[in-house]
Amino acid sequence: MFSEQLIGNLIQGLVLGTIYGMATMGLSLIFGVLKVVNVGHGAFIMVGAFVTLFLFNALGLNPILAIPVAFIIGMALGYLFYYTTIKRLIKAPELATLLATFAIGVLLEEVIKLIFGSEFRGYNWAVGKVSLGITVLPLSKLYACAGSIIIAVLLYLWFNKTRAGSAMRSVVEDSEGARVCGVNVSGTYALSFALGIGLTMASGVLLTMFIPVGINPYMGGGYTLKAFVIAVLGGLASPYGAFFGGLVFGLLENGSYTIFALIPGVEPFALTRFFSFVMLLIILLIRPTGLLSRK
Amino acid sequence: MKKQITKYYPLIPVYAAYLILFLIGVNVEGMWQLVAMLLFYCALGQAFNIFLGMTGYVDFGYVAFMGVGTYGMALAITRLVGFQGLGLGIIVIGFFLALVMSSLLSVAVGAVALRLRGAYFAIATIGVNEGFRFLIEGAKIWNGTEGMIFTAELNRILGREAASALSTFWADVMVLVIAALAAFVTLFYMRSKIGYALTALREDEDAAKVMGINVTKFKIIAFITSSGFAGLIGATSWALKTPYVFPPEVFEIHYTIEAIIIVLLGGAGTLLGPVIGGLIYGISKYYLSIFMPGFQLLIFAPIIIVIIIMFPEGVVGMLKNRLKGTALGRFII
Repeated sequence: MFSEQLIGNLIQGLVLGTIYGMATMGLSLIFGVLKVVNVGHGAFIMVGAFVTLFLFNALGLNPILAIPVAFIIGMALGYLFYYTTIKRLIKAPELATLLATFAIGVLLEEVIKLIFGSEFRGYNWAVGKVSLGITVLPLSKLYACAGSIIIAVLLYLWFNKTRAGSAMRSVVEDSEGARVCGVNVSGTYALSFALGIGLTMASGVLLTMFIPVGINPYMGGGYTLKAFVIAVLGGLASPYGAFFGGLVFGLLENGSYTIFALIPGVEPFALTRFFSFVMLLIILLIRPTGLLSRK
Repeated sequence: MKKQITKYYPLIPVYAAYLILFLIGVNVEGMWQLVAMLLFYCALGQAFNIFLGMTGYVDFGYVAFMGVGTYGMALAITRLVGFQGLGLGIIVIGFFLALVMSSLLSVAVGAVALRLRGAYFAIATIGVNEGFRFLIEGAKIWNGTEGMIFTAELNRILGREAASALSTFWADVMVLVIAALAAFVTLFYMRSKIGYALTALREDEDAAKVMGINVTKFKIIAFITSSGFAGLIGATSWALKTPYVFPPEVFEIHYTIEAIIIVLLGGAGTLLGPVIGGLIYGISKYYLSIFMPGFQLLIFAPIIIVIIIMFPEGVVGMLKNRLKGTALGRFII
């Protein structure tokens, strides 16, 4: 009985993990290239969720079609915030970008609150479900999972097969060296930030396909914290690392929840969160380059 | 001897500001509430500045130390309420416990997190803050999610009238004392070997290390001092002023952000900065919440971004550079 429940939860965790991974790639991409921690990360996920909600409720648009829309809006927002704010702070101490990205997050939350109000919302996209014997998965979750994997693969191809992608990788390795070799470093910074935000907003769409309720302007904070843990699992500076970090995190989250739920007299949900932060600290200490790195 | 005294001239504008604030609060009808809030923000900035301003390390989980301090006071009051004879002594024990608990946590966190730098340090400290909160909630330590409400205990210990005077007036006075102490310690550090070492470390940690400065030791000193003050602020501003403690509230990351904004507004690493930052932040927050309720954050967020871009060294940082070498310059650092 217990093992069945554990396996069922682990399957759910794996599916959720692909979305977690996808939702962290933007954070890692931005940190890898610009060395900026986007503390407002979750707010962009939230905006992506609202884009989905709006398109679904007002226009009846399929959430899958909301993915490119959110991605494009995200790219635009990314360029906007890069040129108005981040560009001027890249050389400043971390404090400046940490606070600035936090302020950007707050700004987004308040603007969305102004437009949509602060109550919890959701949408109902009924496309049926599949039974795996042990556990039941709604098709919408599987679409979200497939969407995450496709986007991750596209990003991988783009990184490795295009000029802009290799320019970005060269800046991650050594921005001065890349500049010497004729890479347009400031253009790469702008593109990376925009791409990171675009990916993050698209992941907001995928997240609502997995959890179509609880959408509200302040939903992002928890995702920012989860994204930090996942990004650290993956080495903080690598988008693929982040994707696999997401898988590991999804499994550990659901697995540890199932186990903590057996202990009487505790709150398993909170202990799961505690466990994830303990993991964060341990990895930062013993392997700050991430679980997957070879170094 | 004279040199000894001139060393402490920069405290004059800081203490003058606190004195004026206090006198306004006591003498002008209806102002105490605002003054109390300003004192809290000044104290918060002054305490955080000792670490953030002097080392340049961004502790994103600073509020955890305030939270732990709040628990220290709460535990003293709820556990010792039976010992009526102790009276005010229970409050003193509460302060002691707040100081010890926040310092112990800072030693543990510092030993681990201070090996990391920059963004890694910031993320690790967020992790500590959230982790500690979820440990309390998850393992149901100190009543877990339910928290503790100890209004009745406080009334029993001090009597109803004294307890109410404590929460409406004396707690704020204690915050003032803590802010003044933090300012003194800041200047003491600045004028001693610790300050010089920290300046060197803030500018270039590797160079400082090569020069033979024990950077870890000085980082930890600044971290523990700053965290200890945070514990005391939590014990007064939160536990004594509003006698309850809930984990989601006392580990709320927004307080860390407020502290960062105050330090940055005034000027990181300056002595007068946190006072000016606290006043600007507190006054604008207070009046925005009166005149534009619900829109404070919408207005604040872009202003913060503009300030970070245009005035990264803060108000006092700019003043300091202007006044360098003049007679006034000796008072403003």
